[in-house]
Amino acid sequence: MQQAGTSGSDMEVTWEDQQNINKFGRLNNRLHELEDEIKAAKETNDNLEDASNELILTDEEVVRFQIGEVFAHVPKEEVESRIEELKEATSKNLEKLEEEKESVLAQMAELKKVLYGKFKDSINLEED
Amino acid sequence: MASTSASEATTVTERRGIPAASFVEDVQTYLSQSGLDVNSALAFLQERLQQYRVVEMKLLAQQRDLQAKIPDIEKCLDVVATLQAKKGTGEALIADFEVSEGIYSCARIEDYDYVCLWLGANVMLEYSCDEATSLLQKNLENAKASLEILVADLQFLRDQVTITQVTIARVYNWDVHQRRARQSVQGNDS
Repeated sequence: MQQAGTSGSDMEVTWEDQQNINKFGRLNNRLHELEDEIKAAKETNDNLEDASNELILTDEEVVRFQIGEVFAHVPKEEVESRIEELKEATSKNLEKLEEEKESVLAQMAELKKVLYGKFKDSINLEED
Repeated sequence: MASTSASEATTVTERRGIPAASFVEDVQTYLSQSGLDVNSALAFLQERLQQYRVVEMKLLAQQRDLQAKIPDIEKCLDVVATLQAKKGTGEALIADFEVSEGIYSCARIEDYDYVCLWLGANVMLEYSCDEATSLLQKNLENAKASLEILVADLQFLRDQVTITQVTIARVYNWDVHQRRARQSVQGNDS
């Protein structure tokens, strides 16, 4: 985990600096959470892709589609449209997550500039 | 989120039982005000950090529980919605369900007006589809609201941990600085 460690001699830390450090820590945590969520969303996307590919190959009319904990017997067309809906929802979600990740990274870069500018070597904001 | 203005010290002294870490403007003043020497101050801060970590573990466990509960409730809502949709068409719903690990059986679910919801503690109640949907919806909203509060608590806690870590580093550095200053003074004298 990134540590905002200060190892200077007589660097003064103002409340504003402390708030910047806190904000950086929070953003960093959010970044890790986002990376996990993005990974999960990508996996779901891949699974849905595989599922719809399998669906095209199968020649059964009735497909077992998981709803909750049970597998309901659903006609093939309905399954196709359900999978399409799920795929759309997942890709929209993935897009939103990627956007948030970009914004978090940008904010972190800004804060890094400010904090390194003030503390130079006395602070470490890198991933260890 | 506790809001603080940039020019004042923390205006929140604690949040839901978590004491706030007071921000130290100046190490010298802090040490003389608290009447502690450097080692005691460091020990006190380290102990505070430990306490924060314990609370963090607890909150993270609660967060994991809630994050597991929410998809569960959503799945239940899904099933009830499917049952309601099927009811309109007059067809029976055929589904495979798990009897035991790895063993599935086929079921035909015909005309029904009620669903049973497992409420926990060996209690299961019958509800009409609409009542079930609204109950599950309410549970879902409560769970999401609790999760939001929990996330805010965790953020507050992590901020206090960061403040304490920075304070520890500053007290330590101040001490090192003092020692060096004393040594150079002694060096000049001798």
